[in-house]
Amino acid sequence: MLDLILCVDDDPITLMLCKMVIAKSSFAQEVVTAQHGEEALAYFDDLKLNNLGNDIARYPKLIFLDLNMPVMGGWEFLDEFAKPEYADVFKETRVIVLSSTIDPRDINKSKTYPMVIDFMSKPITKEMLEDLKKIF
Amino acid sequence: MKNKVSKISLLFILFLMFLAFVSHKLLTHFTSDNNSGTFHLIITLAIIMISGIIFNYTISKNNQRNNKIFDKLKRNNDEIRESNERYDIVAKATSDTIWDWKIQEDHFIWNKGIQGIFGYKKEDVGNTSKWWFDRIHPEDSIKMSIKLYSFIEQKTERWHDEYRFKCADGSYKYVFDRGFLVKDENGTAIRMIGAIQDITKQKEEEQRLKLLETVITQTKDSVIITESEKANKGIPKIVFVNPAFTEMTGYQSGEVVGKSPTVFMGRQSVKNDMQRLSQALRKKEEFKFETINHKKNGDEYWISFSMIPITNSEGEHSHWISMQRDITEEKHREKEREQLIRELTQNNKDLKQFSYITSHNLRAPLSNLTGLLNLMQDIPVENLELKEILNGFSTSTHLLNETINDLVKVVIIKDNPSIQKEEVLIKDVFENVFNQLSFLISLHKPILKIELEKVTILNINKAYLESILLNLFTNAIKYRSPKRTLRIFVSSKEVDDEITLIFKDNGIGIDMERNRDKIFGLYQRFHNYPDSKGLGLYLVKSQVETMGGSIQVESEVDKGTTFTLTFKK
Repeated sequence: MLDLILCVDDDPITLMLCKMVIAKSSFAQEVVTAQHGEEALAYFDDLKLNNLGNDIARYPKLIFLDLNMPVMGGWEFLDEFAKPEYADVFKETRVIVLSSTIDPRDINKSKTYPMVIDFMSKPITKEMLEDLKKIF
Repeated sequence: MKNKVSKISLLFILFLMFLAFVSHKLLTHFTSDNNSGTFHLIITLAIIMISGIIFNYTISKNNQRNNKIFDKLKRNNDEIRESNERYDIVAKATSDTIWDWKIQEDHFIWNKGIQGIFGYKKEDVGNTSKWWFDRIHPEDSIKMSIKLYSFIEQKTERWHDEYRFKCADGSYKYVFDRGFLVKDENGTAIRMIGAIQDITKQKEEEQRLKLLETVITQTKDSVIITESEKANKGIPKIVFVNPAFTEMTGYQSGEVVGKSPTVFMGRQSVKNDMQRLSQALRKKEEFKFETINHKKNGDEYWISFSMIPITNSEGEHSHWISMQRDITEEKHREKEREQLIRELTQNNKDLKQFSYITSHNLRAPLSNLTGLLNLMQDIPVENLELKEILNGFSTSTHLLNETINDLVKVVIIKDNPSIQKEEVLIKDVFENVFNQLSFLISLHKPILKIELEKVTILNINKAYLESILLNLFTNAIKYRSPKRTLRIFVSSKEVDDEITLIFKDNGIGIDMERNRDKIFGLYQRFHNYPDSKGLGLYLVKSQVETMGGSIQVESEVDKGTTFTLTFKK
């Protein structure tokens, strides 16, 4: 079971659904959420601030990321998160794109980011999480 | 000659003297009067001498006159001979055919030209004017004879005419004939001499040029010829405009000839191309441009303007030929087309936007619904009514989800007109498809007959081909006939640069009479089966066409259906 994961989605119902499915399948201890990319980055910034000079002991090892969001979308977030200021600090964090799109161009694009390990279609299901458990 | 005359005179005198002497001797012999006899003799001799001298004088005078006449005659003779010779030489030298017509006797003589130029044999050439007239082209003969006879009757001073003259082989030659009259002392025409010139070549050239000229005069394109600047120091001067020019610009020929083309080409219209135009003029290069111009009455029109430099026989640039075409309508059409393309592009963008909305904004809440329903399944529901409602809710949600997923698939295919293609071995694709269909195949146990040419390689998108075959196989299984075992026959063949894939089943078929136009349509269903959505064949066709192929269908109710897919290699 994972300790902490982050769900980024602008839709509160999706977030609620995520939390419920994750809890049901005992996939993670704690789920933090963000409404868009900027909020997610702010969360990581806070983590860095609170642990100035120290190694960050506890940070999300997995992010479920939506693509289509206001303020900052999924792609923009990935671009930012791939930069050394994040990628070097949160080395173990992996991303799963969880989107309602099934456009193959999006799927191909997601493969260009090293931290993205999968592209999944909504809705999130217990079966998906069972499969993921094998990786983590 | 003179000596001869003197000799004759001397002999004559001597003879007479001898006669006088003899008669005197006889007279003296028979008479006695000696004195009177001698005296008579002297007188006689004197008379003889005198008459001899007179005789000599008269004869020599006469002789002299005769000689003069003879000399004159001889000279005349020489002149005539020379003139004859000259005539012969000239007749030989000239290509003209010369004829000589004694009008009263109607006797006609031709020189050798009639043989050489017109190909008649000597014996075929007639010697009457009829023979001549008979060989004049029927269309020319009346006009020609009117002119000829008014000349012979001396109503006109000169006669020359052009007409067609028949050759020995039946063809006609264009000739130019000139004639002169010989009159007697009363002024009556007794002879006519003429010279026929073969002008067929000139005439043909003339006709050819006339024909070529019609190109300029009849064409709808405006044509202008200008002199080169060198000949004119400065701006080229117009030397010719054709009728189409007047039609197009409104300027009459007289208004522009002798002037520069700036008369009808506004400065405004050449402004953009001024640089290139002046360069082309300088370098004597062909030049072409399109511009808005104004007619004489101010109307605006679009012209396509081209200029071609022309050189004279010495290879020097002498003229410019310029052609203008009114392209106003084309320009309008072009504008309309551009407008249409803009509108279509916008519409297309809107539609793409719409499909994006479909795939995102519809799918997002729908996936939430599905997710929530999934969660709900684990919660026991006591209320039966609520349970039924939730079941209906779940079914509808899944159906909606499927429909939207299908639509998104279509949108993706339509949005990718040029998808990635690769070399695909058909056999591999079939293996994949059968793997996916293994459950259905084991369930219904159709008889499959697959005849694929071993090396059939298609340059296509593998995923699409799989999807196509999957659709066709599931259709064949879904719409099998309950009366007989399902047979599916798939074959492929290569013809030229095309590969044809034939997919044949013995299922329930489709009524082609009613559905030919709808068979590949979106949401077209031909059988009321619960899981038929009318999407499969639409997807198949879309995918085939996206890969540049085509699909045909033949079907008979309760016999089966055959799909023929054709792909370019």
